[in-house]
Amino acid sequence: MDIRFTDCSVSFGERVALHPLTLALDERRIGIIGLNGSGKTTFARLINGLVKPSKGRVTVNGLDTVKDDRAVLAEAGFIFQNPQHQLIMPIVSDDIAFGLKNRGLPAQEIAARTEAALTRFGVTHLARRRVHELSGGETQLVAMASVVVTGPKILILDEPTNQLDLRNRRMVANTIDALDEDTVVITHDLELVEGVERLLLFHEGRLLADGPPAETIKRYHEVAGC
Amino acid sequence: MLTSLYVEGRSWFHRLPVRAKLLALLVLSLALFATQSLYLLAPAFLLCGWLYFSLGLTFRQALARIGFLFFTILVLAAINLFLLPVAEVAALLLRLMALVLFAAAVTATTTIGAFMDEVTFLVKPFERLGLLRAADVSLALGLVLRFVPDIFARYEAIREAHRARGLPIRPLTIIGPLIILTLKDADTIAAAIDARGFRRQ
Repeated sequence: MDIRFTDCSVSFGERVALHPLTLALDERRIGIIGLNGSGKTTFARLINGLVKPSKGRVTVNGLDTVKDDRAVLAEAGFIFQNPQHQLIMPIVSDDIAFGLKNRGLPAQEIAARTEAALTRFGVTHLARRRVHELSGGETQLVAMASVVVTGPKILILDEPTNQLDLRNRRMVANTIDALDEDTVVITHDLELVEGVERLLLFHEGRLLADGPPAETIKRYHEVAGC
Repeated sequence: MLTSLYVEGRSWFHRLPVRAKLLALLVLSLALFATQSLYLLAPAFLLCGWLYFSLGLTFRQALARIGFLFFTILVLAAINLFLLPVAEVAALLLRLMALVLFAAAVTATTTIGAFMDEVTFLVKPFERLGLLRAADVSLALGLVLRFVPDIFARYEAIREAHRARGLPIRPLTIIGPLIILTLKDADTIAAAIDARGFRRQ
């Protein structure tokens, strides 16, 4: 991936959510940690243009998140903290097909790609299930399938193991590890980011640490005071 | 609701295009209201009944889906017995029951996705006139069907929370938090629609 933040900051009225930041992310596996309200979700949302910089600029694989917003959305998929919110259609297969239909693809291609995504994430048996009846782990896998099906090169996952039991947590973690796409994972689950190439720590809207997981996690413990 | 009433199957009626089924429902409605003849209405009722009960549902399941509507129609017919001749009431009864059976058959054999595609197709002429965007109508319908169960679940959760805190359960004290939470979620859902490239909302 090639993500560049150039003197980028975000403010909501008087409140500064992210202080000016200049940074380049080139690794395939990136992790982001920090206390609640530290600015990590704002940082992640800047990557696919869901949040626009108040000042400065963000580019993703050479595309500007403000000028080329639609292209950036296609380049970087986002999986929300509560994946139930991002499953928009009532039936699993319809939801996976949703993004493809919006791109105006022919019906045959939509069916083939939906089937391939269901198979890739091992959720073929859920195809006709109602979205609101899925378990936490199933919801997370379907959410990933529904984003990946459109072919983004980067996946941003906001607390993907939040509220999952141990078995589902492991299943989702293994699925993330096996993804071909580059990933940016925001999490409180430190085990999930132990294997990333680069781990960023945010604190009070500032990038406090940036480096290998072991060092950044140590710093996080100091900040959290435990 | 369509989401919960679809029945997996491969019957000839399942395979029929949605448009043909909806068109048949329209034609049947007009035809049934155009006649008073019991010789036409009774076979139509039997035919619709045969169609509905041959879709793969057990008799109990099939009856559970239409039971309330049939009960309402029977009450309506009973009241009309005091006002109309018996033959007219019988025609009313057969007509409405035939329509309910046929509509239930359409619902049981049509996926929500197929139904939404058809809605999108039907409103396309309005898009050409610049009055609306067909995909928006389809999306709105999908969102309603998708999130109504969630809103019910949230309503139940708020009720439980009231009960757990020993608070009296009054509709007004539940509806307030329900609206606030739903609106809060609406923001996230709009962001999710954006993130999935539907278009900037």
